[in-house]
Amino acid sequence: MTCPHLEYRAAEFADTDRAYCTVVDEFVEPMRADICNDRFDLSHAEHCEFYREAEGLDAGADDEPEAEP
Amino acid sequence: MTGYDDYLAGEPVIITVALTGGVHGKEATPNLPETPAEVAAAAADAEAAGASIAHLHARKPNGERSFATERFQELTDAVRETTDLVVQHSTGGTGAPLEARRQPLRTDPAPEMASLDMGPLNRYRHLTSENPRAMVDTLYDEMADRGIKPELEAFNDGHVNEVHGLLDRRDLAEPYHTTLIFGGGTLTPARPRNLLNAVRNLPTGATFNTLGFGQHQLPFATLGTILGGHVRVGLEDNVYFERGERAASNAQLVGRVADMARTLGREPATPDEARELLGL
Repeated sequence: MTCPHLEYRAAEFADTDRAYCTVVDEFVEPMRADICNDRFDLSHAEHCEFYREAEGLDAGADDEPEAEP
Repeated sequence: MTGYDDYLAGEPVIITVALTGGVHGKEATPNLPETPAEVAAAAADAEAAGASIAHLHARKPNGERSFATERFQELTDAVRETTDLVVQHSTGGTGAPLEARRQPLRTDPAPEMASLDMGPLNRYRHLTSENPRAMVDTLYDEMADRGIKPELEAFNDGHVNEVHGLLDRRDLAEPYHTTLIFGGGTLTPARPRNLLNAVRNLPTGATFNTLGFGQHQLPFATLGTILGGHVRVGLEDNVYFERGERAASNAQLVGRVADMARTLGREPATPDEARELLGL
């Protein structure tokens, strides 16, 4: 299921609506959108620290974004 | 084996441009190309600035990452129309299953090269990009069947061990083109001594890219150039030109390392020189 904290919004930098996280009030990285939408058996409830923090599960959003060569 | 002697001999340096990546998008910098037309234009500019290989990730129209052959086909066709660059498709993909990871290998024509992650790495707080050996072997076998040269990506020294293991399990053609990656998290710590060690640990017959994430991009490209290696730069790995100043384009990052290489006595390789050096 799609994350309940996810919205698709228009962005100045893009022609199409993009994933927007209402927990952190930021557009979502393309790879994180896979988690938001539970693609490839990813789960926001299990894999997204922002969701977990918002839902009162464990927190911890201190990671730097990294490239994926 | 590459080394300081190759630097002294002035061997051309192959510049791989990682144009867009699959993790961040225009939310990180609006200068990052996403659509096939944007990527093709950025690739052409990067070629003019000195790049010889284009490392490609595909996107959906809304900017999200895609592994679909159709998206890679659209992308690679666009890049081939605008450039003579060696085309290298990414098979990387945190969380994505094997069947998705194979899709970028199935374009027509096949890419000349494809990335092959040599082992696991951590992502964010709860994710791991697994890359078990069975997946590595399966991706490699499909590359071999299609005549695609793997670019062996070592995110840390343990992955250099995995390069040796792959050579034990499979019959790769020399040169074994590797990418040594430096930065935070699961990557090898970005210290010059670690690059020296990693190069020393590579198998005989290997060539290497030096890839430093973020602020380490330019210094590690410079170190790698002096050690007779090749370099990878681009907005996938680093969105800044200087501290606090976003890069204007991939070409800007390529042009800077091309100038650096020339200053150090190595000319940027043309795409055909890169093909010859890598045995494509």
